[in-house]
Amino acid sequence: MSTRKDLPTNHETELSSYENDLLRFQAEQELALGLEQAKRTQWFDPVPRQFFMKDKATTTILFGGLTMAHDFLVEGVLKGLGYKVQHMDCPDNESLRFGKEFGNRGQCNPTYFTVGNLIKYLHHLRDVEGKSKEEIVSSYLFITSGSCGPCRFGTYVTEYRKALRDAGFDGFRVLLFQQQDGLKQATGGESALKLDTSFFVGFLKAVLLGDILNAVAYRIRPYEVETGSTDAAMARCKQILYDALKHRKWLIPALIKCRKELESIQVDRTLVKPKVSIIGEFWAMTTEGDGNYQLQRFLEQEGAEVEVQSMTAWILYLIWEGRYDTRKRMKLRGEDSGRYGLEGKNAGSRLRMLFLADRAIRVMFQTYAKTIGLADYHLPDMDEIAEVSHEHYNNHLRGGEGHMEVGKLILNVAKKKVNMTLSVKPFGCMPSSGVSDGVQSLITEKYPDAIFLPIETTGDGAINVYSRVQMMLFKAKQAAQKEFDEALSKKDLTLEQLRNVRSSKCTHPLRASRHVVACTAANVVYGMSGFFNRYSLRRNKAEVKGV
Amino acid sequence: MESTDQGIDSLILGIDVGSTTVKATVVNPKNKEILWSDYQRHHTKQAEKVLELLVAIGNQFSEIPQQNIRAFITGSGAGPIAEHIGAKFVQEVNAVTMAVEQLHPDVGSVIELGGQDAKIIIFKENEETGNKQALTSMNDKCASGTGATIDKCMIKAGMPMEEVGRLHFDDSKLHHVAAKCGVFAETDIVNLVKSGIPSAEIMCSLADAIVMQNLSVLTRGNTLRHRVLLLGGPNTYLPFLQECWRKRIPQTWQERGYDYPKDMPIEELIFVPDNSQYYAAYGAVMYGMHEPVGVGNYTGLEGLKEFIAHGRKAKLGEKAGPPLMRSETEQEEFRRAYSIPKFTPATFTSGQKVRAVIGLDGGSTSSKAVLVDESGDILLKEYQLSKGNPLEDTKEMLKRLRDRVSEQGAELEIIGFGATGYAADVLEKTLKADVNIVETVAHMMSAVNQFGDVDVICDIGGQDIKVLFMKNGDIRNFRLSNQCSAGNGMLLQAMADQFGIPVQEYAQTAFKADLSPTFSYGCAVFLDADRVNFQKEGYSKEELLAGLALVLPKNVWQYVVQIPRMSELGRKFVLQGGTQYNLAAVKAQVDYIKQRVPDAEVYVHPHPGEAGAIGAAMETLRVVKRRGYSTFLGLESAINLSYISRNDESTRCTFCPNHCSRTFIDSETPDGQTARYISGFICEKGTVEDKEAVIQLTKKRQELKKHYPNLVEYEAVRMYQHFYDAEPLPEPDVLVEDVQVKRSLLGGIRKKSYQRPFQRSSPAEMERRSKIRIGIPRVLNIWSTAPFWRTYFETLGVDKNNIVFSDFTSEEMWQEGGKYGSIDPCYPSKVNQAHIHNLLFKHHEKKPLDYIFFPCITHIPTHLQNVMDSASCPIVAGAPNVIKAAFTKEINFFETRGVAYLDPAVTFTELHLMKKQLFEAFRDCLHMTEDESDFAVQQGWKAMVLFDAEMQERGKMILEQVEQENRIALLMIGRPYHSDPGLNHGVLEEFQVLGYPILSMRSIPKDEEWLRRFFQDDLESGRVDCALEVRDVWPENFSSNSVQKVWAAKFAARHPNVAVLDLSSFKCGHDAPTYGLIDSIISTAGTPYSALHDIDANKPSGSIKIRVKTYAHSLGLHEERLHDLAQKKAELQQRIEQKRLELTGLQAKRQTDSYEQTNFSQMGN
Repeated sequence: MSTRKDLPTNHETELSSYENDLLRFQAEQELALGLEQAKRTQWFDPVPRQFFMKDKATTTILFGGLTMAHDFLVEGVLKGLGYKVQHMDCPDNESLRFGKEFGNRGQCNPTYFTVGNLIKYLHHLRDVEGKSKEEIVSSYLFITSGSCGPCRFGTYVTEYRKALRDAGFDGFRVLLFQQQDGLKQATGGESALKLDTSFFVGFLKAVLLGDILNAVAYRIRPYEVETGSTDAAMARCKQILYDALKHRKWLIPALIKCRKELESIQVDRTLVKPKVSIIGEFWAMTTEGDGNYQLQRFLEQEGAEVEVQSMTAWILYLIWEGRYDTRKRMKLRGEDSGRYGLEGKNAGSRLRMLFLADRAIRVMFQTYAKTIGLADYHLPDMDEIAEVSHEHYNNHLRGGEGHMEVGKLILNVAKKKVNMTLSVKPFGCMPSSGVSDGVQSLITEKYPDAIFLPIETTGDGAINVYSRVQMMLFKAKQAAQKEFDEALSKKDLTLEQLRNVRSSKCTHPLRASRHVVACTAANVVYGMSGFFNRYSLRRNKAEVKGV
Repeated sequence: MESTDQGIDSLILGIDVGSTTVKATVVNPKNKEILWSDYQRHHTKQAEKVLELLVAIGNQFSEIPQQNIRAFITGSGAGPIAEHIGAKFVQEVNAVTMAVEQLHPDVGSVIELGGQDAKIIIFKENEETGNKQALTSMNDKCASGTGATIDKCMIKAGMPMEEVGRLHFDDSKLHHVAAKCGVFAETDIVNLVKSGIPSAEIMCSLADAIVMQNLSVLTRGNTLRHRVLLLGGPNTYLPFLQECWRKRIPQTWQERGYDYPKDMPIEELIFVPDNSQYYAAYGAVMYGMHEPVGVGNYTGLEGLKEFIAHGRKAKLGEKAGPPLMRSETEQEEFRRAYSIPKFTPATFTSGQKVRAVIGLDGGSTSSKAVLVDESGDILLKEYQLSKGNPLEDTKEMLKRLRDRVSEQGAELEIIGFGATGYAADVLEKTLKADVNIVETVAHMMSAVNQFGDVDVICDIGGQDIKVLFMKNGDIRNFRLSNQCSAGNGMLLQAMADQFGIPVQEYAQTAFKADLSPTFSYGCAVFLDADRVNFQKEGYSKEELLAGLALVLPKNVWQYVVQIPRMSELGRKFVLQGGTQYNLAAVKAQVDYIKQRVPDAEVYVHPHPGEAGAIGAAMETLRVVKRRGYSTFLGLESAINLSYISRNDESTRCTFCPNHCSRTFIDSETPDGQTARYISGFICEKGTVEDKEAVIQLTKKRQELKKHYPNLVEYEAVRMYQHFYDAEPLPEPDVLVEDVQVKRSLLGGIRKKSYQRPFQRSSPAEMERRSKIRIGIPRVLNIWSTAPFWRTYFETLGVDKNNIVFSDFTSEEMWQEGGKYGSIDPCYPSKVNQAHIHNLLFKHHEKKPLDYIFFPCITHIPTHLQNVMDSASCPIVAGAPNVIKAAFTKEINFFETRGVAYLDPAVTFTELHLMKKQLFEAFRDCLHMTEDESDFAVQQGWKAMVLFDAEMQERGKMILEQVEQENRIALLMIGRPYHSDPGLNHGVLEEFQVLGYPILSMRSIPKDEEWLRRFFQDDLESGRVDCALEVRDVWPENFSSNSVQKVWAAKFAARHPNVAVLDLSSFKCGHDAPTYGLIDSIISTAGTPYSALHDIDANKPSGSIKIRVKTYAHSLGLHEERLHDLAQKKAELQQRIEQKRLELTGLQAKRQTDSYEQTNFSQMGN
C-alpha cells in the first residue's frame, strides 16, 4: 500500500477509478455468490454508564440491597445532596422469579434476588405506572456497590446488564459504586454524581446509623413487654434521622431525640433467651426478606435474641485487607506491579491512612452509639479475627467473608459471645458453603460445645430451613437456660427473688450488663453482684428457716 | 399397645405427622409410660387422620378432663395442624433425640430414613466436661437416599413388597446406582432393568448406594459412634437394608481407625428397636415434659374440624397463582385450535399393493414405528412400550404392521427402512437399515416436513427435552435437557398416577382448577417436595395438576434453553413429543410462548409422539429414492430374525473396573452371519466381547487418534512430565542483587539495593533433598501450574521420580476416596479428597511420601491484557484448607501416616511475593536458602513459558492446517481441570475419532501479530487495545479462568474453522455469569457450538451420545459450507482476475505503463 502514496497525483485519480471499478465489481460478485452472508458479525457489550449534570434534576436514582434501615437512611443522605432518589423495597420471592427468568442459570440467589428486584420494579414502572421503555431508561438509573472479589459478587453488574437487556430495558444505566475505586464512569468530567468527601461522609453516616439502629432494635425487641413497641419506636427514630440527614442538620440532637423514643420502651430482661449470632454470606445475612426466609424475625418469634453483623464491620474488613496486603508486601526483595503490588506506591503512608480510617470510623461509630444509648457495643477486632482463623482459613484467601466466618465462630465460642451461631449463605455460595463450611466442620470438632448451624438458602423450602433452625435452637435454649441457672446459683438467687428485685438492669431498655456469658438474662444476674448477693443470702437463710 | 391404667389424672399426647403416616402415643406424665399408641397411613389427608386418632384417644380416655391433657406434635406435616388443637410444635430431630436419650442412653448414633428426609444423630462426648452433645444433621433439599426413592425404585425394579421383605443383602454383584439424587437413582435403576439385571441385584445395589451416600454425605464427615440405632420405615421393614448398614458401618470404622467393641454381636452393635415408628411421637412427649406448664394445652377437636372444613382453602388464595384455563369459552377455543386430530389409519383394498417405507424410533422407554407411502403420507402407526430388547420390540411392531395390511387382503412391499433413537445402531447392524439418524435430526426432519420453514422445535418426550433452533431448514443450535432436569412428560405422568388419574384425563382435570400453586422449577425431586408441601397446605389435585403443567414451560425455557428473549429465536414454534397429547401441557406452553412472543405462531405436530419415526421414514424415502435401492433385509426376514439373548457371568465386561453386567443379543442374518448387539455397558470397551477385540478396538481408536490430534489429551499428559532440565543452582561465587530494608522514623520503608554472593545450602542438605518425596494432587489449579511445581522442586534437587502426582480422576478413585468431605461443592473440588486419598493410601503405601503439597493458589497466571484481576475461584483457592479440615478433624490421617501436609497460599501474579511465600512455606522442610528458592521459582516460570510455547506451536499448526484444508477444529473451552479425562468424561475423544482435531485453550497462539488477522475490526474500532483482551464484552473480568474462557470464545467467533465445545461443571459459580456472554459471542458470530454443562461425578452416557451425534451432524454441514465457501471464493478470485484483465486491457490501450500494472495486480489480493 505504501507504494501507492509515492505515485504521481495524476496517476492516482486514474488508479482510484480503476480500483473503484474493481471493488464495485467485487462487491457485486460477492453478492451474486452469496459471500456477503458469510461475513461474521461480532457481539460486544455496550456499557451505558453516563449520568450527566444536565440530567440530575430529571433522573431518579434507584437504590437498594442493604438492610431496610440502611436503605432508608442512604436515601435521606442522597436527597440531602440534591439527588432524586428512590430506595426499593426489600427483595421478595417475586424478585427471585424475575431474577431466575432473566438471569443466567446457576447464579447464586443474592444475584437473582437483587437483579430480579430491579427488573420487578422496572416492570412495575412500565406495566402499572404506564411509563414507556424510553422514559424509564432515560429518567431512572440504578446504583449498586461493585466488588472486586474473586466470587460471583464481582460480576453482579454483568448480570444486571444481561437481565436488563433480556427484559427489554436495553440501555438502562447501572452505576457501580466500586468499593475501592469510587464510582466508575467512563465519561469522567461532567458526571452528575459527585463522589466527593460529603458524599462519602454522608454515606458512611448512613451506614453507621443504620447499624446502630439495628443493633439497638435487636437488643431491645426480644425483651419488650408490649409487643410492637420497639418497632414503633424504631420507625420514629428512623424518620428523625432521615430528616436530619436529608436537611443536613447536626446529628447529635437528632440522636438524643431518638434516645428519648427508645427509652419509652418497656422491657423485661429476666426472660431467658438464647443469643443467636447470624453470620455468613454478606447479603444472605443482611437482607431481612424472603432472601433468608426472614430469619431474624423467625428467630425472634421462636424466642431467641438475635445478633446481626454490622455493615461497619464490613468496611473495617476492607480496611484490614488493605493493611494486611500492604504489610505482607513491604519487605519483599522487589516491588511487584499490578493491583496489589507496591510498585510506585508509598506503603508507609498507605498504612497510616488505613490506620486513621479505621480509627475515625470507630470513633464516629461509638460517638453516635453512645449518644443514642447503645452502650457496651464492640465493633469487631479485625486483627483478632484474622489471627484466630489463619491456621484454618488462610488470610490470603479472599472472596465473600473470607476467613471472617471461621474467625467469628471461633470467637463466638471461645469468648462465650453467643449461645448459637447460624451461618446463612445462598445455595452454592463459593466462599461460604464451598470453603468456610468445610473448615467449620473442623472448628466444631475442636469446640464440641459450639452450637453451629450452616444454612443454604434457595428461596424455597422455607419449612425445611425453619425445621433445622428449630432443631438447633432447642439446644441453644437449653444452653441459655443452663447459663442462667448457673448464674442464679452462683449469685445465690432464686428466680422469684430476681423478679421481685426488678432493678433497672432488667427493665431499662438501654441498660446493658457486663458480658460474662452469652445469655443476656444470665448477664443481668451476674450484673447484680455485691448488694443483691448479700441481700439474697439473708433471704435464702430466712427461707430455709421457714421450711 | 393399649393399656388403661386407673388412677391417671393427666395425659400428654405425642403426635407425629409424617409424609406418609400419622403416629400418636398417649403417655402418663408421672412415669413416662406409654398408655396407648396407634399409627395409620394418611394418604395425604393429614388433618383428617389426626382428627380420627384424636377421636379414638378421646373415646379411650374419656374420663380425663380436657384441661389435664397437653399435646405435642412433630413431623414434617405438623406445622399447619398444631395451632388448631393447641399443640406445641416440636422439631422432629429433637423429638427423636429426646426419645433415644430416654430409651437408649447407651446409643452412640441414630440413622433415621423417613419418607422425604434422612437424619443422622451422633452423640459426642466432650472430653473435658463429659457433656453429651447431640450432633444432628438432616439431608438438605437434594433428597437422596430416602423412603420415597426406595419406594419408586422398588416399583421400577418390579419387585413385589413381600419379596423385598425377604431379600438379603449380597454385595457380590453390585451395579452402579447414583444415590446422590432421586432422579439419577431412578434413571440408573431403569437402565439396569433394561439390561436385564435381576431385581434382587438391583435392590442390593440401591441399598448399597443409599447407605454409602448417607455415610459419606449425611454424616458431614463425622464418624458414627457405636451403638447405632436404625429408625424409620425403610430401616425397619427392609432386612437387606439393615444388613447393608451392618456391613458398611464397621468398614468405615476400620478405615478410620475408630475403636468399637468387636466382641459385641453385629445385630446389637447396629440394631433396630421394637416399635421404632413411635419414637418421634414419644420424643415429642419427652420434649413437652421440659416445657413449662401452660405450653401445649390441648384445646379439643373443634378447631381442627373447622380447619378441615374451611380453614385450608381460605389460606391458599393469598399465595396461589392463576388457573390454567380462565373460562369455558377459552377452553373451547383452545381445544378447537390445539386438539390433536385423531389419526385414522389408512384402509386398504383387497389385492392392493402397498409400497411404503418404515420409520422406526427405538426410544428408551417406548418404541414407535410408522408406515409411510411413497408420497409421504402416513398410513399406519405402531407403538410399543419397551421390553428391554430392541430387536424383539422391532420384530413385534413390524409383524403388527404387516398383519394390519395383510388382514385387509393387501400386500405390503417395504421399499426402505430407517431407524432413529437408541436402538438405531443395533437395527442398522442387524436389519441393514437404510438410514440411521440421531433423534434430534429425525425430529427436525419431521417438523420441517410438516411445517416447512420453522424457527424453533420443542420436543418433550418422556425422559428428555430437546429444543432445536432452526435456520434455513437446518439445525442452527440445540439444547438438550441434562439428566438433572427431569421436569418433563414422565413427571406429569407420575403425578397423574399418584392421584389415580389416567394421564389422558390430565388436561380435563387440570382445566377445572380455579387457581394453582406456584412450583419452583428445576429438578423433579424439588418439584415433588413442593408437591408434598402444597398438598399439606390443602391444594386439591386439580390445582396441583394445573400448577405442574404451568411449571413445564419454565423448565423448558428457563432451565434447559435459558434464552430469556424468546422473540430472538423466531416466531414459528413447533411443539412435538408424546407430552403434547396432554393439552394442559400444550396450554401452558402456548400461553408462555405467546406472552413473550406476542406474534408467535405455535403449532402442535399432528403426530407428536411419532415425530422421530416420521423423520426417519422421510429420510429413508429420500435416501432410497436417491440411491435407487434399499439395503433393508426385507420385512419377512426381519420378522423371522432369530436371536439369542444372554446375560450371565460370561457376558460381564471385565475390561475396566466398572464390571458392567452386559446383555449379548446375537442375531443370525439370512446370509448366515451373526450380528451381536451388546447392551448394558457404560463405556466404549463394553462394545466388544473378548480381549482380542478390545485390543483391536483400542488399536483402531489409537489409529484414529493419531491421525487427528487431541491437544487436550496431550496437554493433560505432557504437563505432568519432566520436559525441562532445570539450570543448575548458581555457585556461591556468583553475585546477586538484593535489597536492604530499613524502617524510617515514621514507619515508612526504605530499600537499598546491593550485591552479594549467591547463598547455597550445604551439599548435605542438597543430598537430603534429593531423597525427599513430595505428593501433589492432580486437581484444580495444579492443572494451570504443574510444570512450575515440578521444575521448582527439581531445581532444588528433588529427584524427578520423587515428585508424585496423584492419578487422573476416575470413577474408581472417587468410589474409594470420596468419603471424607463435609460439604458438597462442585465435583472438581469434591474430588480433591479422592486424590489426597489416592496419594495417602496408594502412592504412599507403595513408596512413602514425606510431604503432600497442595497450595492455596490465590491468583493464577494469565495471558490476557487489561484485566481487573487474575483471581482464582474461591473454592479452588480454598480447597486445600477444606482438605486439611477433612483429613484432620477426627483422626489426623497425615500425622498417623507420617506425612506432612503443606497448604501455603501462593500467588502467580506477583513474582516477589510469590518468592517470599514459597521460601516461607518450604524453608523448614527443604532447608534451602532464600536465594536457592528464588532461583528455583525463576526456573519454574521458565518451564511454564516453554510449556505454553510448545502447546501454542502445536495449536498453530492445527489451526493453519484446517484453514488451508477448509476443515474444522474443535476447541474445548472450559476450566483447566476439564482436561482431566475423569472430569470431561472422555467426550473429546468421541469427536476426535469422528475426525476432528481437538484444540485446548492453552494451544491457541497468543502472539499478537498472529492474532491481529482475526481481531482486526475490534482493534480498528478501538473497542480493544490488543487482541488478548475481553473488555469489549466483559468489563467485570476478575476471575482468571472465566476470562480465559470468554476470550477463547471470542477467538472461536473470529476464526472461520473453529467450532466450540463448552464444558462446565455442575454448581460452577464462576461459569454462571459467563453463560450469557459466551452465548451472545458465539451465536452472533454463528460459530458452531455445543455445550456439556452440569458435568458431575457420573457420566451421562446416553445424553453425551445424542449430543455428540447431533453436533457431528451440524459440524458436517458446517464443513460442507466451508467447502462451498472456499469454492465460491476461488470463483470470486477468478472472476476478479478476469475483470482485472478486462480493465487492464482497456487501460493498456490508452496508456501503457508497466509500473502501474504491477501495482494494480497487488490490489486485488
